[in-house]
Amino acid sequence: MKTAVYFCNCGTNISDKINPEKVQDAVKKKNGDVIFKTFDFLCSEEGREFLRKDIMDNAVDAVVIPACSPRDHEKTFMNVLSEAEVNPYMMQMVNIREQVAWVTEDAEKAAVKAVQYINAAISRVNLQEPLKKKEIDVSPDAVVVGAGPAGLKAALSLAEAGRKVTVVEKSPTIGGLPVRYEEIFPNMECGPCMLEPIIGEALHGDASGNIEFLTLSEIEDVVGSYGNFNVKIKRSPRYVDTEKCIGCAECIAPCPVSFKNPFNCGINERKAIDFSFAGALPNVPYINAELCLRFKGFNGNENANVVGNANGGAAGGFCRLCVDACPVGEEIFKFDEKEEIIERNAGGIILAVGSALYDCRKVPSLGYGKIPDVYNSLEFERILASNGPTEGNIRTLDEKEPRSFAIVHCAGSLDKNHKGYCSGICCEYAFKFNHIIRNKIPSAKIYHLYKELVVPGKESGSLYSKAAEDKNTVFIRISDINGMAVAEEGGKKVFSINDACVCGSGGGNESRKIESADDRDGENGGKISVDAVILCPAVVPARDIDGLAGMLELVRDRNGFFEELHGRTDAGRSKIKGIYLAGSCHSPMDIKEAMSEGMAAAGYVLSGLVAGKKLSIDPISAVVEQARCSGCKVCIGVCPYKAISFDEEKGASFVNELLCQGCGTCAAACPSSAVKANGFTDAEIFSEIGIMLA
Amino acid sequence: MQNSSAIKENMPDNAVNIGNAKKTEVFEPRIIGFLCNWCSYAGADKAGAAQKQYSPNVSVIRVMCSGRIDPQFIMDAFQKGADGVMILACHPGDCHYKEGNYRAVQRHRLLLRLLGQLGIEGERCRFDYVSAGESDRFVSVINETVEAVKKLGPLKIK
Repeated sequence: MKTAVYFCNCGTNISDKINPEKVQDAVKKKNGDVIFKTFDFLCSEEGREFLRKDIMDNAVDAVVIPACSPRDHEKTFMNVLSEAEVNPYMMQMVNIREQVAWVTEDAEKAAVKAVQYINAAISRVNLQEPLKKKEIDVSPDAVVVGAGPAGLKAALSLAEAGRKVTVVEKSPTIGGLPVRYEEIFPNMECGPCMLEPIIGEALHGDASGNIEFLTLSEIEDVVGSYGNFNVKIKRSPRYVDTEKCIGCAECIAPCPVSFKNPFNCGINERKAIDFSFAGALPNVPYINAELCLRFKGFNGNENANVVGNANGGAAGGFCRLCVDACPVGEEIFKFDEKEEIIERNAGGIILAVGSALYDCRKVPSLGYGKIPDVYNSLEFERILASNGPTEGNIRTLDEKEPRSFAIVHCAGSLDKNHKGYCSGICCEYAFKFNHIIRNKIPSAKIYHLYKELVVPGKESGSLYSKAAEDKNTVFIRISDINGMAVAEEGGKKVFSINDACVCGSGGGNESRKIESADDRDGENGGKISVDAVILCPAVVPARDIDGLAGMLELVRDRNGFFEELHGRTDAGRSKIKGIYLAGSCHSPMDIKEAMSEGMAAAGYVLSGLVAGKKLSIDPISAVVEQARCSGCKVCIGVCPYKAISFDEEKGASFVNELLCQGCGTCAAACPSSAVKANGFTDAEIFSEIGIMLA
Repeated sequence: MQNSSAIKENMPDNAVNIGNAKKTEVFEPRIIGFLCNWCSYAGADKAGAAQKQYSPNVSVIRVMCSGRIDPQFIMDAFQKGADGVMILACHPGDCHYKEGNYRAVQRHRLLLRLLGQLGIEGERCRFDYVSAGESDRFVSVINETVEAVKKLGPLKIK
């Protein structure tokens, strides 16, 4: 094997400290037939041309380049090798600039070290093998999980680029949380109106042919890897034909069964056949099989008979009140519909499953779940919504208009006993609530109890200013939410705020102190009485994350959200290749951010998975020499990417090169030395150690 | 750098003969440093870019991840005459490959027990975390290790 050393002077950066001639003599002395040449700037155009020509002229097989860090120019020189028709992996850079010349005071010692490094590299490069990039076919299509703002935006962007997208949504409707909101911060836009054009485009627009919506569906299993996932989706029956139903709602009133409507946070009731809310899309009701008498009637028939008789709608047998009311006909109802497993192939999976609110019962002093008229923000959104349980009228449970409100920010946030982070959206919607309450009940007294106020962004200031300038709005800064106690006294919700939990009032603004004169005990601390309490809880991971994280073996951060590949530079990627994150499933965020993230996730799919273009696989990966494998499976346990599987037939492990990232942990763990870490083999490293210590 | 003048006086004319280090009066330890590509190797590059001078006694071997560092490499280094070995990894939670640094620290802890049984002092096998930005930390970890091994003297495996 003909080996050449191309020593880069890097102008004088290297040669000022390390004398190339001395190094050449020493290297040649040890490795007789090696070619040794120096050049001023190997990375320059002339340098690369010199390198290419010299490699070709001398029919060089392996190249050692003492120069800068491989982190700078390894790729540059690998490309030159390719141009010179030498395998680019037959090269070893020697970092004599950053790690020798620039950091070693003594020139002679620097030269000694440089020679030692170069000798080690020569020895190593002779053991290196030509490696080849592999290419595989990929699917350009995607599965999007979650049909909220992030998922919809991702799906629509991909569909518009001609990709096939399957959107998997566990609820019966699409749109996510914002369709529940009457108005949205920062500019009081109507939530459903904002989303409807996007949903409409996805359902009926030019690109809608590329989008398949599977509602009442969840991911059941995922096999395969980046570029070629096989996704199994479990679809629960809706029992109503989405194609034929005209959405007239005639079936709903006759239904004899009611239950608490989860869409409205259980504040009102819905029927066993019903829409989630007026205006839900797709505009088709669904049947709750656990409650529908029809389903109970299949076993024993007693209930169905009783109800049938009582209502006179069903003459014995199964309840069919909804069927009889339907103007389209019986064929719409598919009571025999079964749970279905649907399989889709996709190159990438976008997770946009959203988030949930922290359970305020975990902050018992706030009275949530015990004292009436203590709401979390999602419940209050439904109270404000004109299609909600109170048709947008703010009423206490005893049907009175509340005269005073406490809006508790940071409920469970910025608190080491609960959630240590700030969710970043609560203050903004709290001031939105302030604005809506003020419009609906002009004389209402509103208290904001908060730990910190956070209103970032160019548009958020106006809602905050409105609240801050409002005479009947009071700001009270609390140091510890656990120190407050909410009790019910004569129909009022009374907050006892002790000295310890009131922070200094801000900037001499009188309105920022407790000024409910009748209840006030002192300058700091005291009591405030209100009719209704709205808690703004920390945004936490949705429960669905558990199942998905387990199934996809995704890493979760310490707060339980999906962990990003990199929190800033690659926040849209999970740590599993080909699985992307969009929206609040990986961090609390507002609608604007979620939409941008949906777009970003689509971007990853569009740039990484191009139809007709093959995926190239970096050969710096692990390979199991199956003849040496004892089948102990230690490697499988240590692989951070689940890239290693076990071939039962051969009784040996094997590596999926596509998933392998080339870290080499398996090679270090294998007790039989059966795993070869390409580019960093045992032999290569042992030879480096040996020469460096020679 | 300490003792540099003393070393110079004792250096033979042919400075490129490294095997002579042990023959000089001042003990110059030979240490192999295994650095992960993404954090500690990058930290070393950063120290270079800032031209921070440090002891030349550590010879660096780059691996993609500290999880690649097979305990056999360390045993091999000691056997071939290293007076010390360093393993530098990404900080917990920063590993480019998610958890390679945890494997590395686990293996290091086990290895320390074995080294103890062989009479090799734990200070000769240092594990530490250096991020891509911590050039000062890299320099101090290198210098500290070199000093510690200097104090222990040359390694003599019984």
